[in-house]
Amino acid sequence: MKNFDLEEPESLAEALALLDEDDSAVRPIGGGTALMLMMKAQFFEPTRLVSLRKVGGALGGIDLSEDGSSLRVGAGTTFTQLQQSPLVQKHLPVIGRVMKTLANVRVRNVATVGGNLAHGDPHLDLPPVWMALDAAVDVVGPSGERRLAVADLFQGYYETSLADGEVITALYAPLVEDRRAAYAKVTTRASHDWPALGVAVSLVPDGDVIADIRIVLGAALDMPTRLTAAENVLRGQPAGDDLLATAGETAAEEVDIESDHRGSAGYKNHLLKIYLGRVVRELMGR
Amino acid sequence: MTVDDPAHNISQSIPRLEGRQKVTGRAEYVHHLRLPGMLYGKIFRSTVPHGRILSVDVSEAAAVPGVFRVVTIDDIREVLPDPYYGPAFHDQPVLADGKVRFAGEPVAVVLAKDPRVAAQAVALITAEYDELPSVDNEVEAMTSDIHVHDELKPAASFPDLNHLKGQSGTNVALGYKLRHGDVEAGFAAADHIFEHTLTTQPVMHTPMEPFVSVADVRDDHMTLHTASQGPSFVRIEIARLLGWPENRVRVKVPFLGGGFGGKLYIKLEALVTALSLLVRQPVKIALSMEEQFFMVTRHPCTFNIKSGVTKDGKIIARACEVIWNGGAYADIGPRVTQKAGFTAAGPYDIDNVSIDSYAVYTNRPPAGALRGFGAPQIAWAYECHTDMIAREMGIDQVDFRRKNLLRNGRPQASGTLIRDAALDAVLDRAAERLGWSLPFDPGGGRIKRGRGLAVAIKGITAPTTSVAIVNLYGDGSCGLYIGTVDMGQGSDTVMAQIAAEVLNLDASKIRVMHTDTDVTPYDMGTLGSRSTFHMGTAVRLAAEEARDKIEALRVELDEPAGSNIPLSELLRRKYGMQAGNIIGTGSFIPEYEKPDPDTGQSRAATPFWGVGAAGAEVEVDTETGQFEVTRLISVVDVGTAINPKLVEAQISGAAIMQLGFTTTEEMLFQDGQLLNGSLADYKIPNMLDVPRDFRNEFVESRQQDGPFGAKGAGEISTMALSPAVGNAVADAIGTYLLDMPITPEAVYRALHPADGDA
Ligand SMILES: Cc1cc2nc3c(=O)[nH]c(=O)nc-3n(C[C@H](O)[C@H](O)[C@H](O)COP(=O)(O)OP(=O)(O)OC[C@H]3O[C@@H](n4cnc5c(N)ncnc54)[C@H](O)[C@@H]3O)c2cc1C
Repeated sequence: MKNFDLEEPESLAEALALLDEDDSAVRPIGGGTALMLMMKAQFFEPTRLVSLRKVGGALGGIDLSEDGSSLRVGAGTTFTQLQQSPLVQKHLPVIGRVMKTLANVRVRNVATVGGNLAHGDPHLDLPPVWMALDAAVDVVGPSGERRLAVADLFQGYYETSLADGEVITALYAPLVEDRRAAYAKVTTRASHDWPALGVAVSLVPDGDVIADIRIVLGAALDMPTRLTAAENVLRGQPAGDDLLATAGETAAEEVDIESDHRGSAGYKNHLLKIYLGRVVRELMGR
Repeated sequence: MTVDDPAHNISQSIPRLEGRQKVTGRAEYVHHLRLPGMLYGKIFRSTVPHGRILSVDVSEAAAVPGVFRVVTIDDIREVLPDPYYGPAFHDQPVLADGKVRFAGEPVAVVLAKDPRVAAQAVALITAEYDELPSVDNEVEAMTSDIHVHDELKPAASFPDLNHLKGQSGTNVALGYKLRHGDVEAGFAAADHIFEHTLTTQPVMHTPMEPFVSVADVRDDHMTLHTASQGPSFVRIEIARLLGWPENRVRVKVPFLGGGFGGKLYIKLEALVTALSLLVRQPVKIALSMEEQFFMVTRHPCTFNIKSGVTKDGKIIARACEVIWNGGAYADIGPRVTQKAGFTAAGPYDIDNVSIDSYAVYTNRPPAGALRGFGAPQIAWAYECHTDMIAREMGIDQVDFRRKNLLRNGRPQASGTLIRDAALDAVLDRAAERLGWSLPFDPGGGRIKRGRGLAVAIKGITAPTTSVAIVNLYGDGSCGLYIGTVDMGQGSDTVMAQIAAEVLNLDASKIRVMHTDTDVTPYDMGTLGSRSTFHMGTAVRLAAEEARDKIEALRVELDEPAGSNIPLSELLRRKYGMQAGNIIGTGSFIPEYEKPDPDTGQSRAATPFWGVGAAGAEVEVDTETGQFEVTRLISVVDVGTAINPKLVEAQISGAAIMQLGFTTTEEMLFQDGQLLNGSLADYKIPNMLDVPRDFRNEFVESRQQDGPFGAKGAGEISTMALSPAVGNAVADAIGTYLLDMPITPEAVYRALHPADGDA
């Protein structure tokens, strides 16, 4: 590890000025839980790290929009803050449930919502959940400010659409009446292993019928991926066993899961079918 | 805590002597050590599993500002003409010498004042290899044309390997044989024959403290500060390498953050010694967690087991062929091969037994001892096999085992008598805790339930010696000088309890010296569950000698026998002031008879028997194969539990570790390359993986010749656990899995064999 500078700016403007659109060895750092591992493994050798921890206001806070239609989560929010927020508990209870099996207290105390998204690691638990919730992020950088769907952040294995010098400032989760969401973290070895796959589902029921649904597959592919064909099988239909089986088959067909040491492709396809059914049944109260 | 009546130190859960130091972060470890002028070494490793080294380019690394020197084997040869080491074979070079034999083998070292500079420079080294085909699997290695070593080089320290000297054209480092009765005649007389082949996977020790050693070589003596379980062996082997007498090599060992058999024999010690000798400055090498995968692993093995059974359920013949994948260097593999080999037929009274056990070289990281010296791997095979026989014959698994179990007074397959082995008691207790005789709910629908048990036995490395010194100072306080290394098992406390019991002292007031070979006497090593029995006896003898000397002093000073004048007063009277010492020494080597090389027969093959049983219950999700071990019971025979709390900690620690080896841990290789060499991908269990109902018990028992009736405890609960879990899974799903680890995918495939790809 080479020497590097650690900057701790106290405003977003200062942070942006310290970042460098032409130098990928200059990076922002949130909780550092992912970045430090990359540095230890010598995958990443920074010349300058710009800590976002002291930026405060612009990257902090969890607020309900005035019309109550969405929740804004500052990118610097830690997982523990997220977990303990009454607003999140009330409007997005799925997040609290995901946190129970996400990392450990020490990591959750420092890992940030922004760092988690910007890292682009396909194994992470939260990104597919944010995608299932149809969340978006605000990104600020040298060329101004933009808002994009979380789904559009991910471009491939550890690849995001963020440019050097850009910072995620906040996440917006739309709040939809009657929507329910759940996430199945499917591990195939020790309980704290990375998931072999993660299945995130949000749906709006209408009696026995699934009025609307979003399904996102995490961990098994290069990036969290929406399973639109499976969604189309289920949308507008009652969630019967046969239909769920068909949806499972469709899901396994619309993606190309590869074998790795958490499971063969065949086995993971099977797990996807089973867990998609289980999550949807749970959400439909069956 | 103080003990009210100091004469009662045995069977007391005295808190660990070092507990406070450890929880307050003050305990000493080699990782903390910094010496003036010390250089840090970082290792450049081979990227190919087998190849001739064409060139190593260190020029760019050497040019990095702050780099002191880059070292390859050519430099090492300047100071060590024959830089090969190992406990059984002198087969391992200090750095790769002309050839690399596994991916991850050390090829060069960068030395720098700043370890980060050294690490950065390592990344700039390049090497070119003429790649050779490699051999990975132990069964293939038996007959492969690919040879890991051109010539076998047995070390003189094991006289029974000498006949292998100079042999070439083979990967078989050692073949161990045992013959008892006539196994073919036994099969001919049997009503039923059963045969299975089971395997275990490569795993590693994963101590929390990775390997670390510091060498400080001066003109006429050297000091090694090292995280080693076997400082006496380190001194002998380093002295041999240097051609120095032992008294010029000093080995100091503070606490260890775990060892589990990994930190035995020579690990980093030869390398740091050679480096320090070369540069005449202290050198430290501390491995990262990830590098540990390339230091030493546990032997995978392939075990073919065949039994002949009469129709009323008596096993009358058993043939065992065990092949151990020893990796590129033998380390202590030949001992594993023999020690585990000799109990490969299990804890059963079988008239006709044949055992063949082979240590083979492959192009994998070396394998060595890991908490059981092979006993857990073989127990996996013989206890699943035994369970399968019972199930197939429709005999209750506990009854079948009871019918065939070895009893005290009977000869084990080696001819050594079974004594002080509570096999029945541990099996009965495990069955009772499982509620074996009660009806069991097998579940239904998606979740199926199963239960299983197993019982196992092991012999102990023999013959081995321990020496202890008890030193009572002028004020009557006591120092204990021993080579046993406290690596978390609590040996300091137990040894103090033994000395205190003899000397009528308070164990918590005794000071246990940590190994410093300039000061502490010889000990063969902290390994193989041997310390409580061997060192414990040496400590008892040393304390008894000291006690006798105190009595003699009383007589000399005309005190009536049994007077309660304290030692400090006696010494003051003798010397006229607070002065002098009472020194007692004790040396212990158990009785031993070398097994016949052709038949493995011996009247005294082991000083005592390690005995354990386990019971498990599982719940299997039949849709996915995912399962949970809901209940896990380990029952062991440790003789007298000198410190019950520490014994329980040993049982539970070994059980959790073995649960990892059973269900979550596996070093995965592809074309000789390790695929999951980090703790993010190689999964040891954590607290959430510990079963809800987790019990760790010992039975009432006494090792007649052990110190206060005690014997070893460190490894015993590793043996029966895997087959107990495997047998429970089989009970739930109706199919026995033959290959470890037991994974959800393996269970799923066993449940749905027809599914092909899915
Ligand atoms: C022991 C351990 C266990 C874990 N277990 C789990 C688990 O069970 N499930 C799971 O999902 N995850 C797990 N993780 C991963 C963890 O969730 C991530 O490391 C964490 O979310 C990253 O957040 P951070 O703030 O620490 O990111 P950092 O490490 O600070 O940064 C990560 C990346 O994002 C960039 N970045 C940071 N903030 C911003 C920003 N605001 N805008 C733009 N770029 C930014 C950085 O430059 C860097 O490239 C685990 C991690 C550890 C260490």
